[in-house]
Amino acid sequence: MKQRTSIIGGFAAIAATFVVFVIPFLFIILMAFKDRQQSALRDFSWPNGFHLFDNIFEVVKTRNWMMITAFINSTLITVVSVTLLIVFAAMVGFVLARRKTRFNGLIEFLILAGLMIPPAVVPTIWLLQGLKLFGTLHGMILIEVAYNLPFSIILYRAFIATIPRELDEAAVIDGARPLDVFFRIVLPLLWPVTVTNIVVQSVGIFNDFTNPLYYLPGNGNATVQLTLYNFQSQFSTAYNLLFTNILLITIPPLIVFLFFNRQIVAGMTAGAVKG
Amino acid sequence: MAGLELKSLHKSYGDVPVIKGVDLTVEHGEFVVFVGPSGCGKSTLLRMIAGLEDITGGELWIGDKLCNAVEPRDRGIAMVFQNYALYPHMTVYDNIGFGLKLARTPKDIRDSKIREAARILQMEHLLERKPGQLSGGQRQRVAIGRAIVRKPEVFLFDEPLSNLDAALRVDTRMEISKLHQDLGATMIYVTHDQIEAMTLADKIVVLNGGVVQQVGAPIELYQRPANLFVAGFIGSPKMNFMAVTVDNVAANAVTVSGKDLSPVSIPADVTGLTLGDTVTLGIRPHALTIPTTGSVVGRINLVERLGNETIVNLGLTSGISWLAVLDGDHNLATGQTLQLAFDPTSAVIFDGEGRARHPA
Repeated sequence: MKQRTSIIGGFAAIAATFVVFVIPFLFIILMAFKDRQQSALRDFSWPNGFHLFDNIFEVVKTRNWMMITAFINSTLITVVSVTLLIVFAAMVGFVLARRKTRFNGLIEFLILAGLMIPPAVVPTIWLLQGLKLFGTLHGMILIEVAYNLPFSIILYRAFIATIPRELDEAAVIDGARPLDVFFRIVLPLLWPVTVTNIVVQSVGIFNDFTNPLYYLPGNGNATVQLTLYNFQSQFSTAYNLLFTNILLITIPPLIVFLFFNRQIVAGMTAGAVKG
Repeated sequence: MAGLELKSLHKSYGDVPVIKGVDLTVEHGEFVVFVGPSGCGKSTLLRMIAGLEDITGGELWIGDKLCNAVEPRDRGIAMVFQNYALYPHMTVYDNIGFGLKLARTPKDIRDSKIREAARILQMEHLLERKPGQLSGGQRQRVAIGRAIVRKPEVFLFDEPLSNLDAALRVDTRMEISKLHQDLGATMIYVTHDQIEAMTLADKIVVLNGGVVQQVGAPIELYQRPANLFVAGFIGSPKMNFMAVTVDNVAANAVTVSGKDLSPVSIPADVTGLTLGDTVTLGIRPHALTIPTTGSVVGRINLVERLGNETIVNLGLTSGISWLAVLDGDHNLATGQTLQLAFDPTSAVIFDGEGRARHPA
């Protein structure tokens, strides 16, 4: 009896997941195969013909190959931001966990504040303009790092506290300078959290729509999420191209996730101290 | 060539003093053991020598270099931690070679040094493994290998055997002793286990409450403890004590008696002792024997018959209990009254301040 309820519950969960996650994705795929007329109906019908390659070619070519620029820009922003995030967040977490000073409370408050207080767009733009960073890729990278740093620090800090201090001390006696201790001992041991950070932050930054919209204007600066605007206008929307675009820009985060998923599972179970 | 010289070393955390002025000289090649109860500051002292703790006051000389402000890597030391502190993401080979890598030792020299260290510790077959795949004893070996590969002037051991099981502890103890003979380096070893201290040390430093109680060879500490603390701490089972009154003072002996003790003359340094003083008599459990008439009388609370010896817990009339370790097997019953005697030369008199009055 108990077994039957658990089976029913399992099926219900699978069905719900299917409706919430898989059906919209199937809809995207189906739409990407349709021609413009059929896609305008926006229904769950089987495509009349095979138009996927035509659609992809159309999407990539639109507005002077904007898609290619957008992919390069987004990849650059994502890779550089995530790298900086990981290094800086782990460093802050390391110092916070290891060195107890009377400023720790204030620093922790500031980190939480960074997580809770919504960023003000107009003053930020004013500041970026003053620094001559507005509308540049590196300005955008700094924005992404700043906005996401508190979350990464919080992920790291708790984990660093579990790394025994003797490891640092052994390294110091072995002749390691502070940066050696961090990069050769602590950072490698943080790999499980680093993987989580890479997955969460790279998907978030790659899929970011609003921040590039505010801080990165201009055709040369387009990021992938902004290319969605190419096929949407007040009076006409090419739904087949819009959904092909969505399909194309969904692939990179999917690959990141598939690749690192195995790493997360493999984890690192080596015993630091007596186990 | 490096000995150590500690001059009036102090350490305090905020207002709390932990090390209250330690003076100590360690000769080159000596094996020195710090012992003491938990929280006596022995590990802190070792970490100060290693450079992991700041020195609040005093001077630390390693060799002929004042090391108060010298970085750990420049002190010529290596340390073995209680929980091994192996780098879990590196193989044994990389663990041992980490220090050499940081010192930018050329790869071929590094390789030969690592293999040499592995050969000394007989763990060549473990080099490609990671610490997670090793047993406790093997990890301890790697930790020692990591220390010897750096060819330090001074080895520091922080309770290295306390995470090992009893049998392995004995083996590793012998290995450390052999290593000391082979390398001839200065070694400082912290432990709370007095068997380790007695068997390994050339010189034992007994610490209590951040103060050195006595420094000396193991057998000297056992036979001539400087004060009540050392007398109670060194030797197992611990020394029996009894408060007694001075009845008579002779040239080189005092006659003492007490509630549980008929008058007995004990050789002692009598300077400053007068009639009627209350002093403490200390006697080791092994020094007690069963004669026909004895000077100590009590009722037997507990008997442990081990075959080669018999351990008797004796309740004296004043309420304190003494332990006696008697040679051979004795068929004694609980509740029985027992008389014990001792050779006066094996007894120690401690004055009112707890200082031992060994005869000159």
